[in-house]
Amino acid sequence: MVAAHQSSGEPDPASRPVYRAVSGEITDISPHFVTIGHVAGERRIALTAEATAWRGEPLDPSALSIGDDVVIRIIPSQSGTGIADRIWANIGRVCGTIIEAEGNRLVVAECAMREPQLVEISPLASVRIMVKAPNLRPGYLIDIIGVRHQDVLYGIVATSPQPPYRSDHVPPHRPAAGWLSDSITGSAVWHEPAHEPYGVLGVFYPAVDPATGCFEDAAAKVAPGQAQSFRELPYLAIGSALTVRNECTNMSWTLPVTGCSPTARLFNDHCVACKTSPRGRIADLTLASFVALGGELEQGCFNATLTIGR
Amino acid sequence: MLTLLREVQIPLLAALLLGACASKFVRVMQAKSMAAGLGPTAMFPLKLRRPAAIAMCATEFGCGIGLIVTAGRFGGGTPATLIRLATGLLFLVATAALIELRSVRPDIGCGCFGEFSTAPVTWRTIARSALLAVAALVTMQLPVHGFETLSNSAGTLALLIAGELTLLALLSPEIREIMVRIGYSAPCELRVDNPDQTFAALQRSTQWRKHADLIANREPSDVWRELCWRYMAFPSRAAGKDAELVFAIRLDHHRKPAVLSALVDTATGAVLTWPATGAKHARARVRVARRAKLAYRPGAISQAERAAGQGPGGRINPPVDGQGATGFRR
Repeated sequence: MVAAHQSSGEPDPASRPVYRAVSGEITDISPHFVTIGHVAGERRIALTAEATAWRGEPLDPSALSIGDDVVIRIIPSQSGTGIADRIWANIGRVCGTIIEAEGNRLVVAECAMREPQLVEISPLASVRIMVKAPNLRPGYLIDIIGVRHQDVLYGIVATSPQPPYRSDHVPPHRPAAGWLSDSITGSAVWHEPAHEPYGVLGVFYPAVDPATGCFEDAAAKVAPGQAQSFRELPYLAIGSALTVRNECTNMSWTLPVTGCSPTARLFNDHCVACKTSPRGRIADLTLASFVALGGELEQGCFNATLTIGR
Repeated sequence: MLTLLREVQIPLLAALLLGACASKFVRVMQAKSMAAGLGPTAMFPLKLRRPAAIAMCATEFGCGIGLIVTAGRFGGGTPATLIRLATGLLFLVATAALIELRSVRPDIGCGCFGEFSTAPVTWRTIARSALLAVAALVTMQLPVHGFETLSNSAGTLALLIAGELTLLALLSPEIREIMVRIGYSAPCELRVDNPDQTFAALQRSTQWRKHADLIANREPSDVWRELCWRYMAFPSRAAGKDAELVFAIRLDHHRKPAVLSALVDTATGAVLTWPATGAKHARARVRVARRAKLAYRPGAISQAERAAGQGPGGRINPPVDGQGATGFRR
């Protein structure tokens, strides 16, 4: 796992939990331990008495099955190996533009670099999802969290109200004045790892300098500076350091910008994880970073403050 | 005077209605979605939003045109009264809808003037709508006056129009949005720059001329940008070690940008001392330092220092006395 620097200025770092995330496939499960196999081999992790799990709905960790793909949040233990206090099983997320819609089945393009994703909206969740995402038609944006079975995501939660506009007609939201504050507040979301290195800590930033670097824009043949974006953010580079603060947990980490986020910048939603954030997504975190900052994966976002630099 | 005041309402109401309809239409065309113009239609069920938005726009257009057509002798009498009554009712319904919208969806704007009306509904928006309802209703049964009568009171008419426009401007949150757009200039952090132009500006700078002899290859080994600064790193050698000469070019002045430079160890990133220079270079440095003093601007330098010293990614370390980092303006 790439080391992240703990930011300074926290009120009481000692009393703050330090989360880490591991992921893999369950090879054994009992009321007190979970064993997973992942790229570095097999690992046996103790469960806290209060440990909870999620697989489309809250459930007891012992109800998880062998073969489930899990993301486990680990807190430090006296033995030094860490203990699990939260497990998400088979969780997946698809966020992008609908390119095909047929009944409850959607094909969603996340960006030019990734294969289109297949989403099937669970019948039990369809009413709930339709309330937040009424336009399940090609051209509209969608962001759905659910349970993944092979290549299909069974959608259960629409994370936030769907933007009313088509993804190719994003109305820009300009700042009220011709200056920018030192910190940026908005919604921070997470994305599935896809081809990222295992457990990498980092953040996909929606405004990577177009002159030098967004491969997704280049693949989509978008000219530098012509990419659509709801919220205008200051340009940064791959490798820039961003201090990301979760306003809901008061946890913050300094993370490197590891990519651009062509989809996140199209959204105009608020995050209401603890209080209502300003409109627009400002950070698309890797799964490990989101968990390390205390985010709940099934909620999809947290209210974040970004400070540029350490 | 009162009659003149009533007379003024008709062109004002017609202009407002047609302007509102046009701006909604433009917004919908830009977003290619009826829902983009939300406003009070957000209170309708999803299936009814589109017809509600179309009906709203059509009513505004119809009333606006109707007010103009029936303003003179043609269409006077009952048609004029009906159109003005319809306009008054439209604004009364709009007032009630805005009150409801404010309680149900306090986060969205009224959408009255398309993309300019995105600010949440306040008492000003509601008061404006109520005022326009009154303005429409007082024009009912207004007799038609000849052109001569009106031209005799042109001065008073102009004053009344100016007064009412001022009142409407005070009640319109859209004015602020329009003023912001007129005076908006994107801060340099948001502007797209061309690295080639920045490189050309760098090559014109004193910092470049001063350190160009340390550059091993004129092709930058790395180019990146953070906020208002473009960084360019060039391979170099110092004290027998691989080094990088890094320039930071500020992007808010294209012709004469502030340029900072630092010599860093390629392996460790530590700032290295500049190699010893001859008398010619020393004199050049004094000249640059004097210019820098003359052109000193606290904001520019402190920001430059911050960018160079605490630059995200830590690629340039803080300038330290006697070490290879300088911060001068051209």
